[in-house]
Amino acid sequence: MQLAVLRCNSGLVGMNRKNTPNSLHRSVSRIRDFSSKLRHIDSFELLTLPAVIFVLILFSYMLIIYFYMSIPIFKWEGLGIYLKNVWDASEIPNDEYYGLLAAIWGSFYTSIIAALIALPLAISYTIFIHDFAPLKLKNLLIVLSDMMAGLPTIIYGLWGAFFLVPFLKIWVMEPLYTYLSFIPVFSYPPNTGYSYLSAGVLLSIMITPFASAIIREAYSSIPFTYREAAYSLGLTRYESTKIIFGLIRPAVISGTLLAFGRAIGETVAVSLVIGNTFNLSASLFAPGYTISSLIANQFGNASIYGHMTSALFAGGLALFLIGLVINIGGIMYLRRWKRNVKL
Amino acid sequence: MLNFRSIKEYLFVVVVGILSFLMLFPLFHIIYSVIVLGLPVIISDGPRFFTGTLSQGGIGPAIIGSFMLAFLSALIGLPVAFLVGVFAYEYPDRKLGIFVKMLLQVMQEFPTILVGVFVMSILVIPMGSYSALAGALALSIIMIPYVAVYTEEAMHGIPYTYREASFSLALTRAKTLFKILVPMAKKGILTGVLIGVAKVAGETAPLLFTAGGLYESYPQGAGGPVGAIPLLIYTLVQSPNPNDHAMAWGASLVLLLIFIGVFVPLRMSLKEVKF
Repeated sequence: MQLAVLRCNSGLVGMNRKNTPNSLHRSVSRIRDFSSKLRHIDSFELLTLPAVIFVLILFSYMLIIYFYMSIPIFKWEGLGIYLKNVWDASEIPNDEYYGLLAAIWGSFYTSIIAALIALPLAISYTIFIHDFAPLKLKNLLIVLSDMMAGLPTIIYGLWGAFFLVPFLKIWVMEPLYTYLSFIPVFSYPPNTGYSYLSAGVLLSIMITPFASAIIREAYSSIPFTYREAAYSLGLTRYESTKIIFGLIRPAVISGTLLAFGRAIGETVAVSLVIGNTFNLSASLFAPGYTISSLIANQFGNASIYGHMTSALFAGGLALFLIGLVINIGGIMYLRRWKRNVKL
Repeated sequence: MLNFRSIKEYLFVVVVGILSFLMLFPLFHIIYSVIVLGLPVIISDGPRFFTGTLSQGGIGPAIIGSFMLAFLSALIGLPVAFLVGVFAYEYPDRKLGIFVKMLLQVMQEFPTILVGVFVMSILVIPMGSYSALAGALALSIIMIPYVAVYTEEAMHGIPYTYREASFSLALTRAKTLFKILVPMAKKGILTGVLIGVAKVAGETAPLLFTAGGLYESYPQGAGGPVGAIPLLIYTLVQSPNPNDHAMAWGASLVLLLIFIGVFVPLRMSLKEVKF
């Protein structure tokens, strides 16, 4: 290393004879610093860091693009883009006005329906696999729910559009509308069946196995002695299960949160059953829009209009940030519970 | 005498049983209806269904397109995912390592449509046309976190003593990881790779604005538009023509078979498969 520095040194002197001794000294020490730093970076980091940096850049670039592309619409109509429910696409840019409120409402509404249905199903399935099912069946049941979680979403969409929607229309929506339409949530006439309810039910079918996998992991981490202790006190199965669920409540909450996050980002299956209408209604049977289905439907021809692309990017930005907050929240909560719980 | 507690207990067992059945029922009904509605289409079309173009009543270009996209996205995504996964494993306590692990988990749950729109604005618009390359880039962004997280988890399974032994033989960090630990975790990593590929092969949303869709002729190369089975199904469902719906069921049977073909062997070799 000394030799290398000396050689660099002499090379520098040769190249630049006007160097004063002082600046020469500085450049030598700089080279020495650099070479010692070089020795400290080991070849492992040299290999992996570029890939890590690539992923980091990719993700931040994505965030920047969504911010940057939504600037024009914020300049055009301010926060109105998130606070109003209008969709005036016009050839003349001055007449255009976009508001995403219906889509944001639809995203939350359908995902909340989905999470509310998925939660009891996921909990029951966990209990069934863990406590009731015989050993041979147990493995098969886990395989089936894993398979359900990975099934291509377009197949859910196809099935939802041709089976679930007609089924819900005839067996759920029409009877409820006929007899209970005085209740506001049932007040919309189910003409087509494409509605918030259909989207919510389809989403719940898709996210239940995912939520169940998270809950199952936590449930099986509770030692069997806890259950034995509960039984020895004379508790029934119901009561002892209730106690164990009290222990894993944080895992249940974060599982539901992560499942909610997955539901809110789902695109194609939802866009096939939600009806794709700018509608702001609390009624379960009304058709609507979600942010992702709005992007899927409109982005392809948005470039014809002056502001629509930017409006859709603003929707994407909202979805981006909602997804980020929900997922980080769910992951952190689960991680904190795993760290704190000592079993 | 039945008291209140035993009635509750009885109700509990019944409700859990019914809800568990309700949870699985859609899966059976989906598989049943895909087979019942898809099989007749494939049988009546015969081999033409797998080789012909859409107007001939076949989905050949979509099948080729799907394989092309899976291959290209693996080419882009796997090296990055592998290296990032090993990095996250090696530095679990370093700030960057913690951040990367978190980022990977967040990216796993990220709305896929946003990836498609992002790739459209950085690649499709500058290039001026839809392309297989853009579709593959979008899919690889979705694949990276899955494969990286699986790589990281597979490496975690190796006992710490192997690392100590390797360091005591004066091997460098790079050699320890890539020559000793990675080969030991080979099976887990390969599983992760397969799950990543299976995951992206079924994705639709990221391809909507990137791949373009090409069903009347076979794709010419990575620079041109390309079709995919899920994308084709999405297009066909939205058409009002019942013949198109029949084709959609046939195509989803093919997609389902590909999925099961990858999933079942995977599941045989692994205790749990997380999508």
